[in-house]
Amino acid sequence: MNLYKNILIFLGLIGNFFYSVMDSLGYKLFFFFSCIKSCVTPKFYPQLLLNQIFKIGFNSLPVVGLTALFTGMVLALQSYTGFSRFSAESAIPNVVVLSITRELSPVLAGLMVAGRSGAAIAAEIGTMKVTEQIDALKTLSTNPYNYLIAPRLIASVLSLPFLVFMGDIIGVFGGYSICVHVLNFNPNVYLVNTFNFLQFMDVFSGLVKASVFGLIISFMGCYHGFHASGGAQGVGLATTYSVVSSSILILFFNYLITSIFFSL
Amino acid sequence: MKPVVKISNLKKKFRNKEILNDVNLMIYESQSLAIIGESGSGKSVLTKCISGLLDFDFGNIRYKDIYSLKNSNEKVKNQHISKFGILFQNAALFDSMNIYQNITFGNKKANILKILDAVGLNKDCLDTYPANISAGMQKRVGLARAIVTDPEILILDEPTTGLDPIMSIQINKLLKKLVAKQKLTTITITHDMSSVYEYADKVAFICDGNINWYGDIQDLKKTTNIKLKNFINGKIED
Repeated sequence: MNLYKNILIFLGLIGNFFYSVMDSLGYKLFFFFSCIKSCVTPKFYPQLLLNQIFKIGFNSLPVVGLTALFTGMVLALQSYTGFSRFSAESAIPNVVVLSITRELSPVLAGLMVAGRSGAAIAAEIGTMKVTEQIDALKTLSTNPYNYLIAPRLIASVLSLPFLVFMGDIIGVFGGYSICVHVLNFNPNVYLVNTFNFLQFMDVFSGLVKASVFGLIISFMGCYHGFHASGGAQGVGLATTYSVVSSSILILFFNYLITSIFFSL
Repeated sequence: MKPVVKISNLKKKFRNKEILNDVNLMIYESQSLAIIGESGSGKSVLTKCISGLLDFDFGNIRYKDIYSLKNSNEKVKNQHISKFGILFQNAALFDSMNIYQNITFGNKKANILKILDAVGLNKDCLDTYPANISAGMQKRVGLARAIVTDPEILILDEPTTGLDPIMSIQINKLLKKLVAKQKLTTITITHDMSSVYEYADKVAFICDGNINWYGDIQDLKKTTNIKLKNFINGKIED
């Protein structure tokens, strides 16, 4: 009898856990579709969109550029260490350009922007939530989804590909500068090896990833900001959750998109 | 007098904790209702439900027998929210906007000078940002923003909280003048009994998520309700 009761309690716990997971997932999906809907239904705020493009895109350029530059430089040095062991130094430009465009530039730019702009989005919206500014927007006949979420979502989906493209150029330049100035490669041969090997799909797959990462970053920032509660501590938690969840999702979707492009 | 808002059997839970439990209340036109009660008794939740900012679990809220909020769609909810002007507890001003932008937000037709005069503000402050003005001034700006849309019902969430005694008296006098002049229907949430005596006609005392006492302001001092008496006199129950 006791065993039967324990089994029932155990099954109840599993049921409750499954229910809460599905409930939370369902709510997040509902919120996600509400956000997407707000991007395609009026009212639109072009001025706010431009402000967000400036904040997320333009202001993130130095940090993304520096990351890409140093990554390209390190990649060139490390590749040389390995490839020189079997006299394959000529493959370094190919490795650098492929790694940068297909993988490193989108992922590193995504992680950097998640830490910089994703956190800022969560903190800004979270503060507005806990200080009742979002409620105030509603009383002023303003839909907070259209006013707060849509500009950030659209801005990051548009800005990330731009940042990644710039990261591609700077990263390749980083590899080039190390190979030419430190490892004494011929600059013309390096550039020919880089551009002859590069295909449209290499850059395009990186830009697709960037758009998806942009959507993830702004969505997680908005979601956690919108559900912040309990004052400064709540805003701090929202910021942390936003950065952690976007980083994990970026890595997960990076694999997913890579495997999709791989199978094409 | 017909009720503007009729609240019946309202219930609201947060994570299995019952905040509102069977609340029944009528709000009449041009009436100034004060909702008083201890912290955490459900005053703010009640006004958020009344204004449509928060969904309720059970019961109904009817507006002038025109529509009810129960099972209403987004359009009705938005229409309902726009009938309210709210002065939030900490004013809830938009930090990134100056005072002018805060007051006229989305309302280009606003007669800014008339509004400034009504809340006792000078036009010199219009370029200032909320972080650079005092708490009392923030309340005035919040009030200006709340009345700029010509709301049918004005909700004042603890209008004197966080203010010094002199500023509290000034805000109370300003609200009294405003309520009398514009014949506004107001709902005031407060702990400050001087606000209640200054401009309320009716008082609702909320206790454990329920309306424990409701009556005219004149009957408040004569009440025999122990909980209400203790609340008014600031006594702790033995």
